[in-house]
Amino acid sequence: MLYLDRLVTRQFEGRRWTLPAQVYAAPLEIYAGLPLSGSEFERELRRLRYRRVDQLAGTGTYRISGTRIDVALRPARFAEESRGAAILTLLVDAGGIRDIRDSAGSAVPVARLEPLLIGSIFPIHGEDRIVVRPAEVPPLLPAALKAVEDRNFETHHGVDPAAILRALWVDLRAGQIEQGGSTLTQQLAKSYFLDSRQTLSRKLREAIMAIALDAHFSKADLMNAYINEIFLGQDGARAIHGFGLASQFYFGKPLAELDLPETALLVAIVRGPSYYDPRRHAERARARRDLVLAILAERGVVSPGQAAAAARRPLGITARPAGIYYPAYLDLVRRTLRRDYREQDLTEAGLSIYTDLEPRAQEQAERALDQELARLDHAHRHAGAALDGAVVVTSPQSGEVIALVGGRNVGYDGFNRALDARRSMGSLVKPFIYLAALETGRYTAATIVQDAPVALPLGNGRVWRPENFTRQTNGPVPLVRALADSLNLATVGVGLAIGLPKVAQTLQRFGLERAPAQVPAMLLGAVDVTPFEAAQLYNGLANGGFRTPLRAVREVVDEQGKALKAFPLEVTPVTSPENVYQIDRMLEQVMVHGTGRPAGALLPPGLVVAGKTGTSSDYRDSWFAGFSGSHLAVVWVGYDDNHPTGLTGSAGALPVWARLMAGLGTTSWQAPMPESLVDTRIDYATGLPLAAGCPGDAVPIAVPAGTVLPTPADCAGISPDTLIERAGKWLHDLVH
Amino acid sequence: MRKACLYPSFASVALWASVRLLAAVGLLAAVALLPACTVLPSPETSAARWPPGSAAPRESAPQPPYPAVPAPGPLAPSRPAPFALGPASSALVAQAHAQTSAQDYALAAATIERALRIEPGNPLLWIELGRIRLREGNTAQAEGLGRKALALATGDPAAQSSAQRLIAQSQRGGTALVRP
Repeated sequence: MLYLDRLVTRQFEGRRWTLPAQVYAAPLEIYAGLPLSGSEFERELRRLRYRRVDQLAGTGTYRISGTRIDVALRPARFAEESRGAAILTLLVDAGGIRDIRDSAGSAVPVARLEPLLIGSIFPIHGEDRIVVRPAEVPPLLPAALKAVEDRNFETHHGVDPAAILRALWVDLRAGQIEQGGSTLTQQLAKSYFLDSRQTLSRKLREAIMAIALDAHFSKADLMNAYINEIFLGQDGARAIHGFGLASQFYFGKPLAELDLPETALLVAIVRGPSYYDPRRHAERARARRDLVLAILAERGVVSPGQAAAAARRPLGITARPAGIYYPAYLDLVRRTLRRDYREQDLTEAGLSIYTDLEPRAQEQAERALDQELARLDHAHRHAGAALDGAVVVTSPQSGEVIALVGGRNVGYDGFNRALDARRSMGSLVKPFIYLAALETGRYTAATIVQDAPVALPLGNGRVWRPENFTRQTNGPVPLVRALADSLNLATVGVGLAIGLPKVAQTLQRFGLERAPAQVPAMLLGAVDVTPFEAAQLYNGLANGGFRTPLRAVREVVDEQGKALKAFPLEVTPVTSPENVYQIDRMLEQVMVHGTGRPAGALLPPGLVVAGKTGTSSDYRDSWFAGFSGSHLAVVWVGYDDNHPTGLTGSAGALPVWARLMAGLGTTSWQAPMPESLVDTRIDYATGLPLAAGCPGDAVPIAVPAGTVLPTPADCAGISPDTLIERAGKWLHDLVH
Repeated sequence: MRKACLYPSFASVALWASVRLLAAVGLLAAVALLPACTVLPSPETSAARWPPGSAAPRESAPQPPYPAVPAPGPLAPSRPAPFALGPASSALVAQAHAQTSAQDYALAAATIERALRIEPGNPLLWIELGRIRLREGNTAQAEGLGRKALALATGDPAAQSSAQRLIAQSQRGGTALVRP
């Protein structure tokens, strides 16, 4: 008995609950000029479970009249500061937010909605909770708990003999255990220390521990402990403990915002979270909720009128449990932090983790992948296995990962293809070969290279004979076309000319961590990367030539709000602005003239984008990596068992990418052209210059000023042979 | 062949002399360097000379004089106006300055990052972040941020020199007071 007493005090004294880390998405920043429509803004408010009302009534509500939106913002904690509740008035039209004012009428230049709670990192044994302090608990809840579960809570000493006798009587009459007779304190003891076996000896120990708890701690403390401890639901591997988390889990909003019927439902669930699961047993849950409401009316906690009105309301639970919504992204967060934190710190110390996830972008990415894979499924299924894929989306300038999709089954916390599917990068490697070529100074976008057969002795008697995907050769082509049409032979020629070490070094400069095997096949993408690694590489092409480590976490803050770790923005130049600009212009031509052209039909007209398709050998991997002015996205499509899909990058990954970009509301790529470069036009097929008035497929390219290109003299397309021939004839005429 | 123009007598003499001395390649160069004397072919010869493999223009290149290729963004190097901070960024930069004065550099940097999410293409913000890194003694990052700002500041001499100043200061390794 003494032992139990000591156990109780030691466990309870430190208030040491295991407090899992709470993980938050990026808060939405609003400012005049943000191109966010009224309905889009409303969608963000509803995502945060704001209620639309006719008159603002407490935090978490908003009102729309015409172009005016009034919002009662909840108090919020951000990575670097806290903010109290506030009321903002926005003027929004189709073009976006026009004006933001506070309750005093002063203009507000920039403001943020609170960050969405996207999950928690909870310990292996599965307990998850959001601790609520007494101030955050609406008085209705403890009143309801006492009325329903423990009438004499305030007066008994841990156990309530009257309640036990009453329960015994009821149970005997019913022939089974019907009423608990347990006080809240007993329930607390049971939850803290013991499993749920209901033997007599257990009940005895429970009673003793309850008495000990009651002797050592105040009623207020015990009530608060109960509210934070009691088991209220199961979500897969995650056990929902405490009313704070239960409120989020069932209703998607903070405990302080629950109304009477919602509170009554949670109190109803206490008696049996599985039995009364409102999602699986709605009828039962409702019946018990209404019973709770009746008891509350009977005990005078609420009026009969209020109880009756509440009983008429539907359950009001959210369709999807809030919490493990984005397992792939949470996985990335966990891995990021595992380097600096032990599992224990992450799952027990009550940390707040602020991430870069943009829920809007995440949903677009999930939807795009799902829709396109469903469409491709019809023609591409093998042995019952379905195509799968992965998507990584970043803001290139900052390197922030704003969305991550690990597979088409998004709710499932399983194999994270975005982080773990290591696949051959195929043609995705080519821009880095061409960039390395530009860096030698011997190549420009207009340089004519040979798309001709290659036979390379490999030193062991074998000869490597790569082929173009079309199995044809194209002869002399300009560099821009070799990249845009993804010509294997031309690429191999260029790559061998500049040397494999240079190509490998370029990849590593852009962030490839493992040194690639320097074999000729590297030039065709025999380099294994995950979609995340591919995104790191292409991020450098999308942001003007800087290696900016991709980040998912902005900051980690402890329970008290003190910043523990920040992941600051870092930029390291890895190529010259001139070289990256030239490559980016070539990648733009991939989309206009080359293998990326099909995207045009799916993108908003006039949107300027750049990118590269990737197809690995035998069509096992379908890739697309591309960027706009504000987003970079990498998509991979394939089979988990590495079976060939028959899909090129254009056929598989590209449509996913295009749908995603179209849904993001992104901006055109518009980097400033470095002053040492000039624009010119050449014929796409031959690379010869084109003068005004000449027919031909002109492709605009950027080259260093002073690049010697033959002057376009006539529309015949001057080649050196023709020129000499014609000059000779002209001279002959002159002489004779 | 139609001659498109008359030759000055000096050029004729010079070319006549070259015939005796120079190889065909030299003549080639001379021809190329006389733009006023381009030779216009007759229509029949032009069709016959059309290089193989590019007989028909693609659908994406419809009409003369220039096929309609979408413009790749601002081709002219100079912007119409120098860079300035929008109202949201201005408010955040003001906040960051206050935080810097209080030597709360991590906080100031986080505030600038907020502004950068709103205006990622504005070199002035990258310079602000670079100055904070200088204060922190992180000269490597300060220089990188300066180069980033410089690349974005094309066409704005004031922003360019600001960026160059930042790069120079970071190369000197200074943590001394940074003058704007």
